[in-house]
Amino acid sequence: MNEFIINTLSLGSLYALIALGLVFVYGILKLVNFAYGEYIMTAGYGLFLLGTYTPLPWWSVMLLSVALAALMSYLTELIAFRPVRTKSLTAMLVTSFAVSVLLQNAALLFISPRSRAVQLPAAFNQSVALLGVTTPLRNLLTIGTTVALLVGLTLLMKYTVLGIAMRAASDKFSTTRLMGVPANLVISVAFIISGLLAGVVSVFWVGRSASVDPLIGFTPLLIAFIATVIGGMRSLVGAVAGGYVYGLLFNVLSITLPASVINYRDAFMFLIVILFLLLRPEGLIRGSYTEERVG
Amino acid sequence: MPASGSAGGKIVIGAALCQTGIQAPLDEPALRGAQLAVDVLNEKGGVLGKKLELISMDGKSDPVTVGNDAKQMIDKGAAAIIAPSDFDFGGPASREAQKAGIVGISPCASSPLYGSKALGDKQFTMSMWNTTMGAATAEYMYNKKGAKSVYVITDDFIDYTKSLSRYFIARFKELGGKVVFEDTYTQGQGDVSAQLARYKALKEKPDFIYVSSYMPDLALIIRTFRENGINVPIVGGDSYDDPALFEALGEKYGNDVYFDTHSFLSTAANPKYAEFEAAYEKKFNKKPDAVWIVTGYDVVMLLAQAMEKAGSTDGAQVAKAMENTEFDLLTGKLKWSDAASGHEPNKAAALVQLQGGKPEFLGWVTPEKIPAP
Repeated sequence: MNEFIINTLSLGSLYALIALGLVFVYGILKLVNFAYGEYIMTAGYGLFLLGTYTPLPWWSVMLLSVALAALMSYLTELIAFRPVRTKSLTAMLVTSFAVSVLLQNAALLFISPRSRAVQLPAAFNQSVALLGVTTPLRNLLTIGTTVALLVGLTLLMKYTVLGIAMRAASDKFSTTRLMGVPANLVISVAFIISGLLAGVVSVFWVGRSASVDPLIGFTPLLIAFIATVIGGMRSLVGAVAGGYVYGLLFNVLSITLPASVINYRDAFMFLIVILFLLLRPEGLIRGSYTEERVG
Repeated sequence: MPASGSAGGKIVIGAALCQTGIQAPLDEPALRGAQLAVDVLNEKGGVLGKKLELISMDGKSDPVTVGNDAKQMIDKGAAAIIAPSDFDFGGPASREAQKAGIVGISPCASSPLYGSKALGDKQFTMSMWNTTMGAATAEYMYNKKGAKSVYVITDDFIDYTKSLSRYFIARFKELGGKVVFEDTYTQGQGDVSAQLARYKALKEKPDFIYVSSYMPDLALIIRTFRENGINVPIVGGDSYDDPALFEALGEKYGNDVYFDTHSFLSTAANPKYAEFEAAYEKKFNKKPDAVWIVTGYDVVMLLAQAMEKAGSTDGAQVAKAMENTEFDLLTGKLKWSDAASGHEPNKAAALVQLQGGKPEFLGWVTPEKIPAP
């Protein structure tokens, strides 16, 4: 039972971070950013390249990789999304597909189609005994980091001018602009935070298999979709709740489903998602009233 | 259409290998090896007194594209086709080659389907079949390691992993071994907690674990088990032969891992390896980093030998020469059965052990008994 609790909390924390990163951009731009998984990939390759080819200590490799994901997120906003922002939402959606494919293929061409091993610090290779359970230390680090990030982001959103402006923008974007809040700034910051979260996710996601490949971003993206459908696309709290609920569902299904049907676990997951879409399309947590985004 | 294979005083070989997509990790190194072999052969005067030319088109890990690539290269005068290293992706190239009456050969497709029965009498794979690959480790663990029970995890995403487990289990049970539990995993799931929970719930703990999966998730599966304190040997097939896996497991988790593959990147496997390594370093300025380079190299060398022996590039004669020759390759000795019995490859497996994250060559093994395909 203790093992189940630790696993669920750690998996849920990771999924919550994944979902939160996607919703940050969605909240303001109403854009489902398909390139989000590639920010995770970017940080993964940062870990690989910096860890293998530079003498930097592991903590600076990690910080730089997270920063790299944020930079990539910012650059895609600047180069790809900003020019089409005033066009239709469909144009943005297609652009995000294009960015995703472009980044994947860049990794494929310039690095390798094969997966690459990532050097991890000793702390990521250790297991500890806690409450009578042997568990990787990484699981505990995931939980701790998530809690710290959630507290930090809550403070940012509640008590800083920037945070208040962002919340206002996700509520009523045009009114917020009329109040003198620069749209570009708010949107850029949303992308940067989304990238930062992707970077942190990447450290823990890559940390599990110690390897990175060009398609690594796909599964996290799918997880983010499911978690946000469960939790609610329009609220940050909903995304976090969705992540934890997904982690819980995943583990419960893993344990309770008999081995013969375990391979249909994803089918069960999607069944639940369909039920949510049918019965509670706004998710567990209903966001506040939102208007259509205006460029 | 130019006369098959001898367009303008040179012999053309077409590589319909996949440079992008999920098949690329196997096919991209194979193309490098094939290019090297062509260079080496041309330096020595070519084949049948003619220069060899390798043409290549990206199959993009799409069976339809692979087939079209092969067709185009045959139209350009290819005398033989090198097909991707998988039955699903390589099959279309071989079918086009068969239609045109020329030899098609895959460097590493290990499915027992890859042969003359499913694809035609001029089609071959240079790899041992999964029947051999599964049986070799089953015998090694049972006979040499005294391991009598196993827990099996099968990745059910592709045919390769499923059939490998099937033949491993067939041989292991035949020897008298016990399969404690047959579990599954699907590539891309990204989480192994369910398998781990089921393993921990087993009343009878197995002597070792057989994991038939492939990278990138293979690293995740093995690491998850090791991280959670499960240290019994982990055994598998040629998909383990990946430097990224060795590094991902590292000194701490890369222990007691056994697998069989096509060759070993050192002279321990074959004294001729040194010559190959030197040529590779000269051309690419780095050491060979994957066994798939060697298989790509061997495929071209083998075709050249067969053409010399046949004294022609005619498809039927080359195929006949391939059936009648015992080849001595960097990837071991190879003898095919005739077309009527499927072009079953009789090939030894290279047994490798991972200790401290470093691969060690244990030797060439041929199973005493190979399960029927």
